[in-house]
Amino acid sequence: MEATFIAALAGLTSIGAYYFGARTLGLSTAGLGAAIGKMLGSVGMILIFLAVNLATAVTVVLAVRGLTDAFVSAYVVDDAVWLGLSLIQGLAFQWWRGLPANPSAESAG
Amino acid sequence: MSLLGRSLLVRSAGPDFLVSPASRQKLGGMGTSGRRGDRVCRLIGLVGVVAFLATAFSPLANRLNQWAAVPPELAPSDAIVVLGAWISPSGMLSLESLRRTNHGIELFRRGLAPTLVLLGGARPGGPTEADVRAEQARLHGVPADAILTEIRAHTTREEATRVKALLQSKGARTILLVTNGGHLARARPLFERAGFAVHPAPSDTFVRSDSPEPRLDLMRLLVKEFLGWLYYRVAGYI
Repeated sequence: MEATFIAALAGLTSIGAYYFGARTLGLSTAGLGAAIGKMLGSVGMILIFLAVNLATAVTVVLAVRGLTDAFVSAYVVDDAVWLGLSLIQGLAFQWWRGLPANPSAESAG
Repeated sequence: MSLLGRSLLVRSAGPDFLVSPASRQKLGGMGTSGRRGDRVCRLIGLVGVVAFLATAFSPLANRLNQWAAVPPELAPSDAIVVLGAWISPSGMLSLESLRRTNHGIELFRRGLAPTLVLLGGARPGGPTEADVRAEQARLHGVPADAILTEIRAHTTREEATRVKALLQSKGARTILLVTNGGHLARARPLFERAGFAVHPAPSDTFVRSDSPEPRLDLMRLLVKEFLGWLYYRVAGYI
């Protein structure tokens, strides 16, 4: 019931945003597919950062355990903060990639 | 034709959101020649979004939990072993720790074993999880001389080794192993390797998640347990 309510509400606001964008802001409806593609690209980049962060964290934990007598719990990776940090990293990197390349690098190539 | 209809036509013409350099050009980002890695990023993103929606808005996590969980095999045993979970530095047991402790106490009160073994270390500066659990057990009528605690183990593997040493002197051979159903898949073979005949006693048999956030939490737990199981398999512990 709760899931249905949330899904219905999100669907409703999505339709509202679509009509607002298309009619009030005059956005191109043909561009929606590409916009969704950009969103997926950003989500993908965030997930890549998440995977790299978690894999690195586990490697460091296991290395510390193996090389010293100290115990570090592998459950340090089980924290929602990794998702938030990966979101910041992924979006920043994705937007950076979207900028024009460095002119000096282009001329050198 | 409505705006929504036109947009659906645009999208149904092909998976343009995965490639479409022309559309990208219109939006003015990400370059024009299919920059290397773009397609991979979008595919990963698509998988992530689909997985998120399927987990939050379908019973997928519950089904996976039912499939992965070890079913209970309650039988009279020499001891009930309650594995550690988490305690806050101020001494508050986590929900998971409470659930396991309560299940262990319930099994003891049903007369399934004469000894209750409670595990769990401490956060820096705080009381040990095992001691707080022991206090709970005493408050619920478990005699103090029936309770054993172990506070030094950090991992499930260490818990199996420590419990073996703890119960060896008592001649205990069969145990009721209490932890969550997903964790049992990894914990059971460890305790069997330690020489015990293990009767699984999952503490979350009746847990069902019917709203998005608990379903996402359950999926996170399942993924975590799967990775833990995989690591123990690769390392040769189980």
